[in-house]
Amino acid sequence: MIPARVMLVDDTPTRSAILEQALLDQGLTVVCRLESAQGLIKHVEIHQPDIIIMDLESPDRDTLESMTVLNQHNPKPVIMFSEEGDSNIISQAVQAGVSAYIVDGLNPHRVKPILDVAIARFREYQALKKELKQTRDQLADRKVIDKAKGLLMKTKGLDEAQAYHAMRKMAMDQSKPLAEIAQNILSVMSLLSP
Amino acid sequence: MNGAEVEKKALKLGYMPLSDCLPLLVAQQQGFFEQQGLTVELHQEVSWSNIRDKLIVGHFDGAHMLAPMVLASSIGLGGLKKPLITAFSLGLNGNALTVSNALHTELLEQNASAFDQALTMKALIEQRKTNNLPQLVFATVYPYSCHNLQLRYWLANAGIDPDTDIELVILPPSQMVDHLKLQHIDAFFAGAPWNSVAILQGHGHCLLTGMDIWQNAPEKVLAVTQEWAVQYPNTHHALIRALYQACNWLEHHAEEALPLLEQYLSLNSPLIDQACLIPAITGEYVFVHNKEESKPPGILIFNRFMANFPWLSHAKWISSQMQRWQWLPEDIDCDELVAQCYRPDIYRAALTDDLLPNILLPTDDYQENISDLASAHQLLPL
Repeated sequence: MIPARVMLVDDTPTRSAILEQALLDQGLTVVCRLESAQGLIKHVEIHQPDIIIMDLESPDRDTLESMTVLNQHNPKPVIMFSEEGDSNIISQAVQAGVSAYIVDGLNPHRVKPILDVAIARFREYQALKKELKQTRDQLADRKVIDKAKGLLMKTKGLDEAQAYHAMRKMAMDQSKPLAEIAQNILSVMSLLSP
Repeated sequence: MNGAEVEKKALKLGYMPLSDCLPLLVAQQQGFFEQQGLTVELHQEVSWSNIRDKLIVGHFDGAHMLAPMVLASSIGLGGLKKPLITAFSLGLNGNALTVSNALHTELLEQNASAFDQALTMKALIEQRKTNNLPQLVFATVYPYSCHNLQLRYWLANAGIDPDTDIELVILPPSQMVDHLKLQHIDAFFAGAPWNSVAILQGHGHCLLTGMDIWQNAPEKVLAVTQEWAVQYPNTHHALIRALYQACNWLEHHAEEALPLLEQYLSLNSPLIDQACLIPAITGEYVFVHNKEESKPPGILIFNRFMANFPWLSHAKWISSQMQRWQWLPEDIDCDELVAQCYRPDIYRAALTDDLLPNILLPTDDYQENISDLASAHQLLPL
């Protein structure tokens, strides 16, 4: 069986590179990877993919969909749907931010594994991004806490442990995150200091 | 039934950032949803395809949708197939045809006295053919849209075949102005505010509004899945009542709503400011940059002229046009499709209510007088 020809349209290059590798590992052919939808229709005509995986957040989906009706052009990409009427996979795809178009009736049994990989990679990427954001936030929090601690030590003559405990107690009493307490301390102190 | 407890309180509605999404924004801001016992989250989307998919898989309860998309999705054109219905029109009109400055000059050279005629366009296209010049490129927003159907109707009326005499492409509305500026396209037919953006920034001239093709034409609707409507009838009624109130409010307070519209539309579009939102909302339409020229109010109609009633005659015209361009399967029964997708019965049930008196409920489902539509009944052969 000839491997399915896949085209990727995604303006997040890291994500589409990860997906491309995963698809190659499965023995599929990635015929084209676009980072913008510039010349989208021409690329579909040139590369003749069997399936197009596209970022759901791309406004150019409507342009791609026009290929199904406008002019008499071939190929005609049709949005992925499961023959068995299983809307679960579609729902998962939408949730993960994936849209998939099948060109000229590629067998749904061959589509599902491709879509599964895309969904999984998009999800992983989402999780990765979330984790990265958390790490960044944590780092920022840590900086604020250290700064507030330093300020308390300086102005109140506390040692490091005492300053930290004072802030923690305040956080627990007010049931607020430590970083917020630290931020409040910095704001108040800057207001009071000349 | 009316005033009955809603089955589902928390709703998610999808919309595209266009001037005619305003009833949704107003219903939220003015508390009309809340008055009906609904807590609504509004979700801005980037494509009509997304709106359709999220509605179909149930991520949205309802959506701001292109009227023809309701019919197309119900029979699975383009892929996903699920019966969708509408029982509420979000308004009438709003579209216009804007041409590039270069095309405008060419048209004027053709026939300065009657340059807004499709016939001038036809003559120009013929001349370009003779001179071996490239085909004109027209853009519109989605295949199954009133925009596309109106534009094709206008072109065909003048004997221009939209499939062979020009190149007709689909672009997101927010990209129209840039593509016009960069001369990737020669003209676009889109809704408000994009024509005004192009004109006010000096990148194009408005040739005609949709009203020159069909006075008071259908445009966007509130779409829900048939399944959802069956499951949550009271919620559906409440939603329709809230949106009716919003549309009615807009009829008297449109200008007050401009800051709200600007706030939502400029979220992802640096090109949007209040100046470009005014023309369609107030009817003070500017056709040419730096030239005041206004039409009687009515570019975008939110409530008057029974704008919210889901006329079967609207759906009938849409399906007849889709049939004309051979987009519908041959065995389709258009009357059945129309009756399945357009639900004036639900509109009447929702609005027959002491709480909202004086609502004019037509007894007929067909609007007899669509004579405003140039030769509506003769489908001119190409």
